[in-house]
Amino acid sequence: MSSLMHHEPEKKRELVEADVRERTYVPEILKGIALTTRHFLRNLFGERDTNPDVVERKGITSITTVNYPEEKVDYPPGYRGLHRLVPREDGKPRCVACYMCATICPAQCIYIEAGEYGGEDDQAESRVIEKYPKQFVIDELRCVVCGLCVDACPKDAIRMDTYTHTPSGYDRQGFVYDIPRLLQGPAVSHPSDPWYKRGSSAPPDHVHKEAHTRIAAGGGLAKRPPLVEVMKFPKP
Amino acid sequence: MRIGLILTSAILICGAFFTLMGAAYGLGGYLEDLGRGWNITGLGHLANIAIVMLVTVMVFSTLLTIADRKWGSFIQDRVGPNRARLPYLENSPLGGIPHILTDVFKMLTKEAFRPKNANKLLFALAPMLAFGPVFALFAVVPSGPTLKVFDYPVEMVSTNLDFGILYLFAIASLAVYGTSLAGWASNNKFALLGGVRASSQMISYEVALGLSLVGMMIAFSTVKLAGPDGISEMQMQYLWSTKVWGIDLGLPAWGIFIQPLGFLLFFAAAFAETKRPPFDAPEGESEIVGYFLEYSGMQFGMFMIAEYIEVVVLGGALVAIFFGGWALPFGNEALMGMAFMKAHPVLLGAIFGMVFWLKVLLIVYLQLVIRWTMPRFRYDQIQKLGWQILLPTGLVNLFVSGALILWDPSLRALALFGFVVIGIFGFLTLTPSRQVRREAEAAADHGGHGHAALPAHHDDHAALPANTH
Repeated sequence: MSSLMHHEPEKKRELVEADVRERTYVPEILKGIALTTRHFLRNLFGERDTNPDVVERKGITSITTVNYPEEKVDYPPGYRGLHRLVPREDGKPRCVACYMCATICPAQCIYIEAGEYGGEDDQAESRVIEKYPKQFVIDELRCVVCGLCVDACPKDAIRMDTYTHTPSGYDRQGFVYDIPRLLQGPAVSHPSDPWYKRGSSAPPDHVHKEAHTRIAAGGGLAKRPPLVEVMKFPKP
Repeated sequence: MRIGLILTSAILICGAFFTLMGAAYGLGGYLEDLGRGWNITGLGHLANIAIVMLVTVMVFSTLLTIADRKWGSFIQDRVGPNRARLPYLENSPLGGIPHILTDVFKMLTKEAFRPKNANKLLFALAPMLAFGPVFALFAVVPSGPTLKVFDYPVEMVSTNLDFGILYLFAIASLAVYGTSLAGWASNNKFALLGGVRASSQMISYEVALGLSLVGMMIAFSTVKLAGPDGISEMQMQYLWSTKVWGIDLGLPAWGIFIQPLGFLLFFAAAFAETKRPPFDAPEGESEIVGYFLEYSGMQFGMFMIAEYIEVVVLGGALVAIFFGGWALPFGNEALMGMAFMKAHPVLLGAIFGMVFWLKVLLIVYLQLVIRWTMPRFRYDQIQKLGWQILLPTGLVNLFVSGALILWDPSLRALALFGFVVIGIFGFLTLTPSRQVRREAEAAADHGGHGHAALPAHHDDHAALPANTH
């Protein structure tokens, strides 16, 4: 016990001449058989326990293998998974195409093309949100999963809380995620969101011409949410 | 639920052995009956060949290929092979048994590759030479008593030779020809190394193998293995016995009791002949890949299955020579004397056959567990073990046993000597070795000062050997 627990000089463990137990092999082999048989019986009679909390594992078995394709381990809280573009209550992305994420990305895997809502409309109220991403593309093969884009985003519009990793594929193009594939998960609202800062909650008078989101545009905007309500993405 | 599954499997295994042996006796009696019509005696042995050798031994060793991997995984705290699934049973790995099918399919469909400059004839001959003798070994091992079925005596042995043990020695040594030929014919230096290692290992263990059984031969003054005057059945006699309610209880003259040293020597030497770990220097997978390096497909499969057949056959031989063969430890006379059993000899034979195969299963487990316990012997360690340990011990065992048998032909003195040997090994196993004693001493000594919890503190005592305190 002590030899393992504290840092002793290496010369402490001197080699002792083999005694009769080791030289005749038999007693030592019997001890070895006892050890291996103990493991064998424990694992034969015990149920496999894959609890990641080691101290909470019950039973006699020492097999803890997770049979992967059939069983999967839940990723831990805070796991940086596949990106998602966070939708607003009305289904449009929260993203305002500010290029912060694309700028900070060390792998330069984010490509954004900004568009403007109702460019010809000079009505002040409808121009609260000026920009939106016409294109928002992440090349997941280039992504180094550093999470800087999430930190950089001023609008909480990109998150990595999907708790899945990038699924494998057979061609590179399949790893290029555009808005329809990225825009998913529960909507998120903050009281400080600019579209709630307008005087009225009525929809802006302009009509979106472009169908730039997967979820159909249109419909009224949601009511101003309670003070702080951050939606938690459920674990798969 | 798990316990239920295990119990079900155990009952299934027992039932399979029971059924197979019962079928062997039934078929034996039928064939014997058939043979008398044509004036041929001894056709019953065909039943033994067909059911015991071709079915039981073959299926046993085929299942062992998966059992080896599965048991090894349990020993190493793994799940083991479980990917192959049967149709309609996709959710159940069935203990990995479907892997046998995939293995067989793979081996049968793979190309039987032959290197360009390999010797064509010898290359093709070697796997058969490795497989054949190993399989033929079981011919002299009795797996059940001689019983009268349909009024004709049926022997549960393929051929009851008067020189059964000598046949065992002779054929066991032949198996190495396959190995060394494979190494030679492959035209590959590593394969040749494996073949050379195999033959030198065989030579160093052959002598010990022979010597280890001489004790048993002189104890029962026979080299016959099967039959009422063979070593297997003569172990049924009691050294000390008593009768309780008509059931005979006592200590049988099993080889393990009267010749424990002989058992250890034979086990070690025969284990070395199977070329399985820890004696797998001829294979030496991590260093030279082995004598079957150039073989693929079913030719390699024959080497592999020969190895597992050898495990089963060695188990059978060990049971027949040292564990009383098909007999129960006691109560054999009472069981055989029962009127019901006399009326149903097939049932009796099935029971004894099952006992035999369960003993074999135990020995096979022992072999596999040793294979997963011990690392491979270094080459000089193998030679040293064979020539410097096994051979002198065998000689000592032979002389002491001979003297004791001369002094007391009832074998009781021999059994007492055997108990002394078992006791010595038991004592040595239960007491810690010098290294462990010293480490414990040093730890206790060190902990006594209260320093163990202070990692940064270093005292001068630690550098000194423990016994200087």
